[in-house]
Amino acid sequence: MGTQVKDVVIKPEAPNTLLLDKHADYIAAYGSKKDDYEYTLSEYLRMSGIYWGLTVMDLMGQLSRMNREEIIEFIKSCQHDCGGISASTGHDPHLLYTLSAVQILSLYDSINVIDVDKVVDYVKGLQQEDGSFAGDKWGEIDTRFSFCAVATLALLGKLDVINMDKAVGFVLSCMNFDGGFGCRPGSESHAGQIYCCTGFLSITGQLHQVNADLLGWWLCERQLPSGGLNGRPEKLPDVCYSWWVLASLKIIGRIHWIDKAKLRSFILACQDEETGGFADRPGDMVSSLWNLSHTILHMHIYFACDFSRTCHSLYRAYHSLRYILASVIYFHPGGSFPHSVWCGWSVFAGR
Amino acid sequence: MHGRVKVKSTAQQEEEKRKEREKKLKAFVSARDAVLRKRSAGEHDEEALQLTQQLLSSNPDFATLWNYRREVLLQLETSREKDEVQKLYESELHFIEACLKVNPKSYGCWHHRSWVNTRLPQPDWTRELGLCDRCLSLDERNFHCWDYRRVVVKESGVSVEQELQFTDRLIGSNFSNYSSWHYRSTLLPQLHPQPAPDSASNTSPSPTASPQIHSHRVCEEQLLKEYELAHNAFFTDPNDQSAWFYYRWLLGRAEREEMISCVYVSRERERVSVAFSKPVHAQSEGLMLVLDGQPQQVEWRSTHPRLRHSPVWLCDLPPGSVSDISNEHNLTVHWTEKYTHRDCALYTGCAESWCRDSATDQELFRSELSVEKSSVLQAELQSCNQLLELEPQNKWCLLTIILLMRALDPLGHEKETLAHFQTLKEVDPMRSSYYSDLCSKFLIENTILKMEYAEVRVFSLSNKNLTTLCHLDQLLLVTHINLSSNQLLRLPPQFAMLQCLEVLEADDNAIESLEGLYHLPKLEEVSLRNNQICKLSDLESLASCTKLTRLDLRGNPVHKTANIDSELSQLLPLVTALSL
Repeated sequence: MGTQVKDVVIKPEAPNTLLLDKHADYIAAYGSKKDDYEYTLSEYLRMSGIYWGLTVMDLMGQLSRMNREEIIEFIKSCQHDCGGISASTGHDPHLLYTLSAVQILSLYDSINVIDVDKVVDYVKGLQQEDGSFAGDKWGEIDTRFSFCAVATLALLGKLDVINMDKAVGFVLSCMNFDGGFGCRPGSESHAGQIYCCTGFLSITGQLHQVNADLLGWWLCERQLPSGGLNGRPEKLPDVCYSWWVLASLKIIGRIHWIDKAKLRSFILACQDEETGGFADRPGDMVSSLWNLSHTILHMHIYFACDFSRTCHSLYRAYHSLRYILASVIYFHPGGSFPHSVWCGWSVFAGR
Repeated sequence: MHGRVKVKSTAQQEEEKRKEREKKLKAFVSARDAVLRKRSAGEHDEEALQLTQQLLSSNPDFATLWNYRREVLLQLETSREKDEVQKLYESELHFIEACLKVNPKSYGCWHHRSWVNTRLPQPDWTRELGLCDRCLSLDERNFHCWDYRRVVVKESGVSVEQELQFTDRLIGSNFSNYSSWHYRSTLLPQLHPQPAPDSASNTSPSPTASPQIHSHRVCEEQLLKEYELAHNAFFTDPNDQSAWFYYRWLLGRAEREEMISCVYVSRERERVSVAFSKPVHAQSEGLMLVLDGQPQQVEWRSTHPRLRHSPVWLCDLPPGSVSDISNEHNLTVHWTEKYTHRDCALYTGCAESWCRDSATDQELFRSELSVEKSSVLQAELQSCNQLLELEPQNKWCLLTIILLMRALDPLGHEKETLAHFQTLKEVDPMRSSYYSDLCSKFLIENTILKMEYAEVRVFSLSNKNLTTLCHLDQLLLVTHINLSSNQLLRLPPQFAMLQCLEVLEADDNAIESLEGLYHLPKLEEVSLRNNQICKLSDLESLASCTKLTRLDLRGNPVHKTANIDSELSQLLPLVTALSL
């Protein structure tokens, strides 16, 4: 009697090894598809798309296949007078794409091609009285943007320009009965928001305010019998949620509460053997870039896992050697479900 | 892009699809270019509204278009009378609703609707509430709609009671109602707040604590009703996970009072150790140390550099201030930010002293239960046990029984608790690690309680399948600890809070990291036989434990390191009895 558990079934003939070359080819070709339907329709998030693609290529050791000069010129053309950066030329500036741009430039060690001071002013100017951050001048408030703000400033070494106490206070006011976080105070817990908030608290040195045992339980309960993870109770599993959930667990030190082997087989089963890329769940259409980046990233973080077991904090990660990418996850509207997109993790030089 | 099933098609179907997409693409590109051209030319007119309308209907996430649309509307406002502006924005609401029908989960759409309501001379909140009702009836989990509803409710003055009844209806009629339970958790503290404690409370409510977290903020009478509500839900459907999550919240403990839980003074080291009820950053808390009536200039430090926020802090007293054992001293630590303090008397002839509230007094691991609450929980436990007989594989039920037993009598139910955890790992193996860690936590809590009852400073938890350590801040006074024959992987930085530790036994684990064995001033003997200490560098922190003389490392991979004997005697010259 009662509720069926929403889940998927993995077919026996589903892929069970990581098809790395196919995925690399998929991304390398992606940029060239300028007349592609979905490519064009996703122009509104182009900056983030570029970031995900670059991060994945970098993780696969194939960053050199991407056109660095073209990308840098593109970013320069996207910075507006107010300092903010847009997703593409002709689009309006927004915190989401400002972060993506700063991440790309950090990856390429070319942060000074844009006016950094203006970026800082732009971010600072979006903080509200109650400590929250608007996404842009039109005033949408969301904890995603709190994350974008501190991640951007952390990469630029300018966290001190905002009112930190209030920023923290706002994020904590979004903590719910289940230990999770939502978009705004009173909003339901959601894996993507949890990622943003735990990431925020990590960067700002406030992870001790999280109830790690309670939240960790909520997060590990995202794992369904198929091995995949959903974003909140009673929802279907989705490869991109795997990233948010897994990354959140890593940040709060509870990643071992997920069944690694089962998750791994779920993810591998999401691969498209023909085209490369990952579908959000086995049997669905490949949702191109987002899922691929999510997946490669979290396979790296989870399965390679040399990755700093000691790195609890994105902020500390930032101070690591080598090149650093802040990890961010934010929603991009699109399709039938708010898209979860992420940006890469830090790559560390050993411990 | 999400949730579209991949279907293989014939070559002909592929070609047809390709042609259609090409056509669609062309139309999109030409419309988009027209719009952006118009905007660059600074045109804010009806045509702009038409063009953006076309594009946004099927591309509601093209955020820049909503921005342009707002600019146009603001421009049109300036040349219109109030009633025309009203019409303008009402028509905008129709448009948005049409978009929402196509895509009910677009951030851009919902935000634009909120924005329109700020421009409407006369917003119609009843209509907006109706929209929310309809939207939620189609998808009760649409969080965009719930968030919008919260705004509508706030603006229109709908009562909390009414909203609570709304959740009653939804919960009663539907499965997959997590969103409703969540909403309920936010409404209850508003409608049925816990009355302010009358104990002379100099604790001001923490400004950063979320009002949603703690069920103790709901008055007990209502809380007991909520048990019934949740109970009815999961008895109707034992797989309705939302109700079980909610129930766990109801069983949660009250937030701890902010206070200093322990002050420990050592004459020999002339050091004060302070344990707080929560992690703090000592330098920001307005701490003041007063010795024999004189404020002292001291510097607070954490027990480990990785712990910037910590429940335990140390400071050194001025040299010679307490070293003479024939003198008595009175020490007070003031936590000025929280208007609280703790005294500690250091008596003549005593090498050390402390003052603390026991874990029992602090209601650390269980709350004092009123007679009513106790009898309700007892009845709940009985019912859940009956349910378990019908559904022996139901993990929610098993876990809840454990939580109920802990709320009622953690020590008395220890054996049953362990048995239930074993069953849990069998019926829900994906979460075995979680259950192991949770069980470890409960065993540690029980051991702390037993240690206090026995009034000893020896903590023994060997052979208990421990997978993790916690509550280490409660072990500040412990002198001997036995963690042998468990499954521990590390002694984390928090282990450095065991400032009184003299002997550590941790044989037969899987320990790789000894980070927490750091500047433990009294640590003399450490046994780590049969662990996973692999490299010399894993032992570095031991060099900071200057009283360490006996170290047993037999059965660790590190013994294979070249020249290990000489390396170790260089690293740890003070260790005289070393076993490899």
